[in-house]
Amino acid sequence: MKFHCNLALVAALAAIGASGATTVAAETTLEIVKARGHLRCQVGSPSPGFYNMDSKGDWYGLDVSVCQAVAAAIFGDKNAIEFQSVSSQARFTALANGDSDMLSRTATMTMSRETQLGIDFLPPVFYDGQGFMVRKDSGITTALDLKGASVCVKTGSTTELNLTDFSREHDLNLTPVTFEDYNVRDDTYQNGGCDAVSNDKSSLAGNSASFATPSDHIILPETISKEPLAPAVRQGDSQWHDLVQWSVYALINAEELGITQANVDDMRANSKDPNVLRMLGVEGNLHEGIGLNKDWAYNIIKAVGNYGEIYEKYIGGGEQGLGIDRDDTLNALWSNGGLMYSPPMR
Amino acid sequence: MAIVKATKTPERPAPISETSILGWLQKNLFSSVFNSVLTLLTTYIIYLTISGVYVWGFVDATFVAETRRECYDNSLTGACWAGVIDWLDNIFYGRYPREELWRINFGGILLAFWMAPLWITRAKGKVLVGASVVAFYPFLAGYLFSGGDKGLFMQVMVSAAIVAFVINMANAIAGLLKQQSIAQFVISSLGQTNAADKSQRNLLIALVVVGFGVAYLWQSSWTVEFVSWTKWGGLFLTLVISGIGIASALPGGIILALGRRSKLPVLRVLSTGFIEIFRSVPLITVLFMATTMFPLFMPEGFVLNKLVQVIIAVVLFNACYMAETVRAGLQAIPKGQAEGAHTIGLGYWGTMGLIIMPQALKHMIPNIVGSFIGLLKDTTLVSIIGLFDILGMLRSISKDIPWLGLHKEPLIFGAILFFIICFAMSKYSRHLEVKLSAGDRH
Repeated sequence: MKFHCNLALVAALAAIGASGATTVAAETTLEIVKARGHLRCQVGSPSPGFYNMDSKGDWYGLDVSVCQAVAAAIFGDKNAIEFQSVSSQARFTALANGDSDMLSRTATMTMSRETQLGIDFLPPVFYDGQGFMVRKDSGITTALDLKGASVCVKTGSTTELNLTDFSREHDLNLTPVTFEDYNVRDDTYQNGGCDAVSNDKSSLAGNSASFATPSDHIILPETISKEPLAPAVRQGDSQWHDLVQWSVYALINAEELGITQANVDDMRANSKDPNVLRMLGVEGNLHEGIGLNKDWAYNIIKAVGNYGEIYEKYIGGGEQGLGIDRDDTLNALWSNGGLMYSPPMR
Repeated sequence: MAIVKATKTPERPAPISETSILGWLQKNLFSSVFNSVLTLLTTYIIYLTISGVYVWGFVDATFVAETRRECYDNSLTGACWAGVIDWLDNIFYGRYPREELWRINFGGILLAFWMAPLWITRAKGKVLVGASVVAFYPFLAGYLFSGGDKGLFMQVMVSAAIVAFVINMANAIAGLLKQQSIAQFVISSLGQTNAADKSQRNLLIALVVVGFGVAYLWQSSWTVEFVSWTKWGGLFLTLVISGIGIASALPGGIILALGRRSKLPVLRVLSTGFIEIFRSVPLITVLFMATTMFPLFMPEGFVLNKLVQVIIAVVLFNACYMAETVRAGLQAIPKGQAEGAHTIGLGYWGTMGLIIMPQALKHMIPNIVGSFIGLLKDTTLVSIIGLFDILGMLRSISKDIPWLGLHKEPLIFGAILFFIICFAMSKYSRHLEVKLSAGDRH
């Protein structure tokens, strides 16, 4: 084309694209990441509790912490990350085409996604499920009371499909009212535009906390879908897969073993528990298989804390948290009746 | 006998219905029952709107708060501007490191000073000023914004930009004080007014070279810290993308339009095909292609910076629209103009550059500025592909835990910002039109 002579464009290319085009030979993902000096971790446009931006421009949230854990494992520095915010239509393409090293963004693990899109899901870091929220004064106490109700949902997501399935199954004749933006959906619901809102329960709880009077609304007990939210990596590099997978397990395992951000130094120095010593790299050689340093797991816990701490901070009652209880939910540790379970690290 | 009055009858004062406010009201607003009803109704609607907005946005509004809950505690029905205020840095600068913000501000001020002579009537050489902005400012600003180590090319261009800026400022001052260009001023103050043209020119070149040397030595003494483009965002990013788009869409469009009207078949077919393809695809599709599909066609591991991809897409897209605007302008110029130019011995470029383009461009100003305004607003689409431009930032406020669900106030704030920028552009285009008096020609 004729844009070679276009000075401004050339200038732009020269100025912004100082890092411009770089060609890397075929290497393992870990080698590429190490050579680059930072991890490319894909999140989405902000989603409360999981990945959002604060007023200083820093990312925070549960999924962000998973990225930080992996970065800490590799570099010993949780800030060695470039967060990529990718639209949900392009999320799996951007992972599969090598743009992102990993994806950590409330993606629901499903069979078709894992088997057809060239990606591998890792252990879920949050078990969500779709539910309903109604106004307290409506007198509705169970989703089966919703007969003939209009329900506000976000368009184009599995949420809408699940709702239709549920309506058909129980012959409820629900009318979906669809929205592109959940803020508009919530406004409509609050102004009486629909009888109920349906979405993932974590998100319902988070959003209702922002209503003028949150206590006027209740979340119904039914859960109508399974939404295991899991990070994912590209298929075809099992070392990288193992690395990210065991970084996630390390978070869960640390909670089980009672290792926290605050006591990790003490535990490494004084613990008698061989499980702790193995995990923190004092004994054994767990690190060799994933190509990292001895203290990779120590770095993770030192940087972001264990799973329970992260949950409390961003999903639970912490200052930046959504305020969702963890007890008696699927997200509790297996020893407390939940599903959070790490295979032994030995 | 004739009735003749020798003196002029004194003018009677205009009837009260013409001068008083009441008269005006009656004539314009209450001339009939229907109009009266209409007036009352409209007044009532205007009153409702304005008082509603005023109460919501000002009287009941909260300006200082830590979280949205505090806004609610203050007033359930008022606006919560505190969230917008808390996010101002993000809205304007994106995730740019807070201690480096001066670089963006400085870059903006630099641009304002650089372009100021364009508005000063007494300053000379406006075309050169405009050209120097397009040719040199992007390098200086580009380095200022992204920082890091300067390569040799960057060092040379930054020095050149500094020299160009200093000359430009000196030129503006010389114009203001003496109504001379800087070249005339230097020559006359060195007493060389009567020297031969050639030695005058050599003297000026020598001065510029010396200036370049000084600038080169000076700029090599400092560097600024590297800031990755991924940290760019907010209004700053919007202006960078649309600024580059605006600066290159017009030249690109002119080239494409000339190509489309060319007599060379290859050139014509290529230009036409290019224009038609880019014009018949929505911008969002072009952006998606550029950012997600493009890497698939590239060799493995070849990663082009996403911002560059986006800018290229925006530039190509708008050049094609501009090409059609320019072509319309070219077609409005009577054939006699080109024929006249040929008879006085001008070639193709002479005809185009001296006769056709100046006339055509003048008539196209409203359309061109219209496209520019459209371009500025279109760049907000990049928020969909995950760049945090101003719209992306405004929408993120409602997802930050302290401000969860706060989405109306940020968007209204954004609308006000866009209105200010676009209105200023539109006003400037009016000013240009009047100045070039294009409006009263036909």
